[in-house]
Amino acid sequence: MFHFVDQILELDPGHHALGIKRVTSGDAFVRPNAGGEATLLSCIIGEALGQLGAWSVMAAKDFAVRPVAGVVGEVSIIGEAAVGDGVLLDTTIDSVTDDAVFYHATASVDGETVLRLENVLGPLLPMEQFNDPKEMRERFARIHHSVDSAEVIQTGEGSIAFFDVSFDEVLSFESCKEATAVRTISGREAYLRDHFPRKPVLPLSLLLESLLQLGQKLLEDSGSCFAPTGARKVKMSRFVEPGSSLVAKVRVTERSAEKALLKFRCEVDGERVCVGQAEYSTVIGGNR
Amino acid sequence: MNSLFHEEEMNTDSIYPKVREIIADVLAFDEEEIQRDGSLVDDYSAESIDFLDLVYQLEREFKIKIPRGMIEQEARRGVANEDFEEHGRLTDKGLEHLKEYLSEVPEDRFTPKMQVSLIPTLFTPETFCKIVLREIEQGEQAASD
Repeated sequence: MFHFVDQILELDPGHHALGIKRVTSGDAFVRPNAGGEATLLSCIIGEALGQLGAWSVMAAKDFAVRPVAGVVGEVSIIGEAAVGDGVLLDTTIDSVTDDAVFYHATASVDGETVLRLENVLGPLLPMEQFNDPKEMRERFARIHHSVDSAEVIQTGEGSIAFFDVSFDEVLSFESCKEATAVRTISGREAYLRDHFPRKPVLPLSLLLESLLQLGQKLLEDSGSCFAPTGARKVKMSRFVEPGSSLVAKVRVTERSAEKALLKFRCEVDGERVCVGQAEYSTVIGGNR
Repeated sequence: MNSLFHEEEMNTDSIYPKVREIIADVLAFDEEEIQRDGSLVDDYSAESIDFLDLVYQLEREFKIKIPRGMIEQEARRGVANEDFEEHGRLTDKGLEHLKEYLSEVPEDRFTPKMQVSLIPTLFTPETFCKIVLREIEQGEQAASD
């Protein structure tokens, strides 16, 4: 399952939404962090915020269109969500036009912010190309009901193997400088069933997680332990479909004892599909 | 209206520094690399997602609304559809009309019978300065009416 909003708690369609994602041990996107605690991948928290924004816009547009990943101005990774936590998702739509939605969002656990999205742009495309509108309406009806209802959808779980966020092959690797890696989308990846049923494509959230982890490996030999703290100006300009081999280049552009900045660029057949920057800070003990 | 322009005469020159800053940011170039008459598509690899992003950032910065598809609609104004294009390509009259409308674009970038879908390849930073200026002025006009 690649749905991450368990429940919509409050909704003002096209304006604001509150939702919840409960993190369970059966979640396909839970990993032990450096301290051994099972936590949800940060980019999946971002995906959950984006999905809540999508529900808000789709409801406002009567399920005729759906947003897809476009630009994420800034992702700030501030904390973690561990198994047992309920992640409160809060998405505010800044503007909706005929062709795009713009929003910002915050995820928190027990009142503490764990992840923030700013300046997010999602192009709006015809729903029919991606999903069965009837199925989407039904799913929406199931997750958008009163808080005290007995039926609560559990998202993110599945009998599938954990999603491997690493690339298939590292083509070149120069520690603390740059790396190039490739990942081929076979079409058998479980997340493609939901993302999207009528047009399977690699989710930006999973691509970003892979890039953040590749960048972390690139910084490993620097003598300090770096962990990702966010990403900026992440832009997805094309869909990555099954059969595509995505080549990612990650380059360290700034590095000090405390911080590092990396730039990344992904291409398929020489065409740009995703660019952006990743930010890291040194950690004592590491939290990822 | 943006306070930047309260005290000075507003024209594309006064808007350009901010427009250039936004274009450089959206297209991931250094500001110095942006030429005022450069082609956003051919010189700076702008794609459709970049134009969406650019228009939104300009709207936010200048507190204006830029109607989608506005440039092409304005370029067609006063010309019947069949006089502007034929089978998706500009007619001679359409081309002349477009040249007049996009007067900031160097002449040699217009090609006879060019595809209508390629009109965005002509857009330059100055094209967006003109649009922003017009929308600011129209907003002011509407406010004073």
